[in-house]
Amino acid sequence: MMSRTIEVEHLARVEGHGKILVEIANGRASNVQLKLVEGPRFFEGLVLGRRAEEVPVLMSRICAICSAGHKLTSIMAIEKALEVQVSRQTELLRELLHHGMYIESHGLHLYFLALPDYLGFTGAVELAPKYPEEVKRGLGIKKLGNTIQGMIGGRPINPENAIVGGFGKVPNSEQLENLREYLERLLPDAEQTVLAFAGLKYNDFAAGPAIFYALRPEGPEYGYFGQTIVSSLGEKIPVEEYRQICNEEVVLHSTAKQSRKDGNSFMVGCLARMNLLADRLTPRAKNLLQKIGWMVPSHNPLHNNLARSIELVYSFERCLAVIDELLANGVSQEPVDVMPRRAGRGVAATEVPRGTLFHEYELDQEGRVVRANVVTPTALNQANIEKDIAGCVSHVADKNDEEIERYLEMIARAYDPCISCATHLVEVKHR
Amino acid sequence: MSKPKIGIFGLTSCAGDQLAILNCEDELLDIVGAVDIKSFIMAQSELKAVQDQMEDSRFDLALVEGAVVTDEDEKMLKKIRDNTKLLIAIGTCAAWGGIPASRNDLEREELYQIVYGRREDLFGCHKPRPLRDFVQVDFSLLGCPIEKEEILRAFSSLLHEDVPVLPTFPVCFECKLNENLCIFKEKDDLCHGSVTLAGCGARCPSHGVPCRGCRGPVDEANIPSVYHLMKEKGYPVADVERALRTFTYNAEIPQ
Repeated sequence: MMSRTIEVEHLARVEGHGKILVEIANGRASNVQLKLVEGPRFFEGLVLGRRAEEVPVLMSRICAICSAGHKLTSIMAIEKALEVQVSRQTELLRELLHHGMYIESHGLHLYFLALPDYLGFTGAVELAPKYPEEVKRGLGIKKLGNTIQGMIGGRPINPENAIVGGFGKVPNSEQLENLREYLERLLPDAEQTVLAFAGLKYNDFAAGPAIFYALRPEGPEYGYFGQTIVSSLGEKIPVEEYRQICNEEVVLHSTAKQSRKDGNSFMVGCLARMNLLADRLTPRAKNLLQKIGWMVPSHNPLHNNLARSIELVYSFERCLAVIDELLANGVSQEPVDVMPRRAGRGVAATEVPRGTLFHEYELDQEGRVVRANVVTPTALNQANIEKDIAGCVSHVADKNDEEIERYLEMIARAYDPCISCATHLVEVKHR
Repeated sequence: MSKPKIGIFGLTSCAGDQLAILNCEDELLDIVGAVDIKSFIMAQSELKAVQDQMEDSRFDLALVEGAVVTDEDEKMLKKIRDNTKLLIAIGTCAAWGGIPASRNDLEREELYQIVYGRREDLFGCHKPRPLRDFVQVDFSLLGCPIEKEEILRAFSSLLHEDVPVLPTFPVCFECKLNENLCIFKEKDDLCHGSVTLAGCGARCPSHGVPCRGCRGPVDEANIPSVYHLMKEKGYPVADVERALRTFTYNAEIPQ
């Protein structure tokens, strides 16, 4: 068979600028490159010399969709470095903000980035006239996520109200009660999302054995905050030792560094979390998982969409529980102490919509940044996306170029790659 | 009258300003109905590259997010300018270079070494610069990210063939209207409200958090006076300067 090259010049409906290049020879992919071509912004260099409390202001700008995730993870890493403890109220409000990000991000991905693929449209604008109900449902879910982020974070993107030590201003109980009502009203839409995505056909052209990693909460629950990384290989790694899984290497075709564990690629994100922690889900999310008859663990990357829809319901349930706890304890404006000026090192990890996110900072005696390192989910997933693309090509090499391009885009998109995030988020060695 | 043709583009950025447009959930379907969105790569998959689309579509209006960092950014920006009647910079990166430009005092090779641990130019990138260093920009919507209300008002004005009216006063003005405690005076915090362009409703100070200047400098900002006051409060000059340059390295900052 002749050899040929397929190039997806501009990966659409993802965040940022990416390309896919595949060379096919004898029905197999001889070369696969996911090229993240976003211009580098050097965030880890930009924060050097900054005072600790300025760091989250800059770092949330790494990526808009997960700005709350970068904000919270950088805050938590700085707090570890400064040995600052926060109140239960702050923890709960942070969780609420985090779920606001998930609801917005998952809603956006499912209805506007993924669904057009499965229904044969080029985008949500084209989808709207034929599927008005779905588009409105998606917009409604997305808006709820933004409302939560706005209420807790001060605005939907770059939530400046979240600061080292706590929050600038906390919502009052009336706002929380209204939010509770709003969540209850939209819960059926979240559940309907699971059923709608369970009804789509997921081709298994990219399914192959994979290794999964996720952060595991300290308690018995499903969740996005924790101190231990677990894997499908049975490993348990404290977040401080995150470098065990992300020995990043520079690849010439991409401005993001790649990660491999002992030479193998691995997956983080919704599907990894579901595969490793599904038995810890909240009741409604767990029931829906059983109801749709989806068997986890799954090794099909396209099933990220099913996992995403289940997580949407999980976020609704957690938001309701968090609000109940806040209301039961009573919310109060807590003063945020002046930050200590001291040296220290802090690593924090959270699960953000696309997978595990790590931030690490080292501060000098004056509390200024001397070293920073950020590892994002898309950087972690990059090698696995290439692996899945290669696997897919061997199944569909007999199809025409246009069809293969469409499949490859679907695989990359299922990971919901966030290219701005991944770009140049690598180790800083500056003393 | 035929619908105006609109293109929404992102250069090197976090996509936050494009997302801010997608965040107009209640108005999005009306916007889509009132204008013809010819290109929005973040929300649509086109079969060919953006460049190809531009060959056969001229825009009435192009919204461009992000700073110019790579050669490709520059080429794309010039191509957009050649194919549009109006070009609007959206967000502080497009208007001032934004946070990515905050260390434009360093050569890129130095930053490579900091980030990669070695000195090598791998990808051909430059110091982030605002759009107006390369092409004529008709006007800018500021903010990191841009404000929803400002986008909607700008769309509305343009659809009525009018020019959007943007604020010309500082964040302090809006902060006073909100009757907030002055963070600068009372908490001695590095709040930039007095020299930052309004339009956000004094979002951060209204949450008890200092303004970080994300909307860029207001016209005739009295920066020397800020230096003077901050020095009085005991802040080192280097901290004040770095803070003032967080979003707007390319602005003139007289001491």
